[in-house]
Amino acid sequence: MSTAPALSQLTPQATATERDTTPLELEDLYHRWKGLNPPVLDGVSLTLRAGEVTWIGGRNGVGKTTLLRLAAGILLPQRGSVRIGELTPASKGNHYRRQIGFLSAGDRSLQARMRVAQQLDYWARLAYVPRGRRAELVAVNLRRFGLEEFAERRVDRMSQGQRQRIRLAMAFLHEPRVILLDEPRNSLDDDGYQLLGEQIERAAGDGTTILWCSPRGEDRVLTSDTGYTLEDGHLERVE
Amino acid sequence: MRLWSDAMWGIIRRDAILFVSYRSQLVAQFLGPLFTITLFYYISHLLTIRTIHSPGGYFGFVIVGLVIVQILTISLGVMPVSVRQELISGTIERFLVSAHGPVNGILGTMLFPLINALFSSILMLALATVVFGLPLAATAFLAIPVALLGVIAFMPFAFFLVSLVMAFKQVSSASQFIVAGIAIVGGLYFPIAVLPGWIRWTAEVQPFTPATDLLRHLLVGTPLVHPAIDELLKLVGFIIVLLPFGVILLRSSIRYGQRIGTIAEY
Repeated sequence: MSTAPALSQLTPQATATERDTTPLELEDLYHRWKGLNPPVLDGVSLTLRAGEVTWIGGRNGVGKTTLLRLAAGILLPQRGSVRIGELTPASKGNHYRRQIGFLSAGDRSLQARMRVAQQLDYWARLAYVPRGRRAELVAVNLRRFGLEEFAERRVDRMSQGQRQRIRLAMAFLHEPRVILLDEPRNSLDDDGYQLLGEQIERAAGDGTTILWCSPRGEDRVLTSDTGYTLEDGHLERVE
Repeated sequence: MRLWSDAMWGIIRRDAILFVSYRSQLVAQFLGPLFTITLFYYISHLLTIRTIHSPGGYFGFVIVGLVIVQILTISLGVMPVSVRQELISGTIERFLVSAHGPVNGILGTMLFPLINALFSSILMLALATVVFGLPLAATAFLAIPVALLGVIAFMPFAFFLVSLVMAFKQVSSASQFIVAGIAIVGGLYFPIAVLPGWIRWTAEVQPFTPATDLLRHLLVGTPLVHPAIDELLKLVGFIIVLLPFGVILLRSSIRYGQRIGTIAEY
């Protein structure tokens, strides 16, 4: 298990606000897609504590991805708020996003013709990982997700499962305080599934908040997490 | 600032890796300008135009126009397409969830095409000089800072088109019309003086004409109608007025997509 402090504590530009904030708070979120009724989210509130692993399930199209996109700051709330302490995606977007690791559903967001190590280095730069830590974090995450032997292979020559590991490595690489995972098991084999579980456990142990969505309860990696289902725009706790 | 520049360099490096991974593009980058120059070299042999006073005749006149067209085609044509490609492939998501952010990310996406356009322009001038004997003026080296200034002045137009891509997802035909229109009213292929009087005013209300006139003057010695300092001030004025407007427009289009939920659609 890594004992290194979180990147947000090391980055020189990290402000006191960033360091001292409590993890993710979603409050009264409302989102309605144009031309569609009813709203996909209607007054969703959720507070996630440091080190907590939370799972949200629900039918296809029920709004799980929309909820994660709002939490990631990709979408801005039509009503309600998303915040990490005083940071919100609308007011301090770049500072907010520095705290977030995000894995989208599907197999997008990779540069097909880059090599795996190049892809991770590219992401580390976008995530404002300081120059002195970039190579180390790329190497560590190649190892953590079983990608070392593929470091020099082009992304478009990797299998779907291997690509999913790269995408997962990007979500964890910059040591964010909150990690949002949308259907993280996609295409993973048993080894990949185990690695994912280990990394979630390790990150949570370091105080990282994890929120992840998948349609089925059996996709839950850890048994010790909190669970909710999303239905008709509302969250219901799963005991 | 260092983290910002590292991220920008990361995007330039990414685009350079993608560019060279398609090897035929490198060949096309050399052959395309060579064929274009050859075409206009022989066309210029057929023309004697009294309104052109460049030492190199029509060939010297049009070669600078071609360089500007090259930059325009890339800034107004290629950039919106590149951003649309980011939407389709989903790679724009990395900007949307990164500390670097979507506005900086899209600005970064514009850098490699611009560097490439400047490189192509230098290549085009070198071919015209070495292969076709274009007489470059002694002031040609001064064209580099003016070209950079010109590129900055063109950027707001690229921002406008990219904003349309972010909001409406598709603008490729619009950008072709705009480049063609600028080529006409900016005097890129022929002097403004040959245009009808009712449309000639358009040459005064955009940055392409002063940029082209200055570059022609510095590269091939074409006499300026207005003093050089006036043309330069005009160019700087366009930058001061248009650039903030372009950035605000880009930022607003991204916010609009984030609010209604279409930002990740394509």
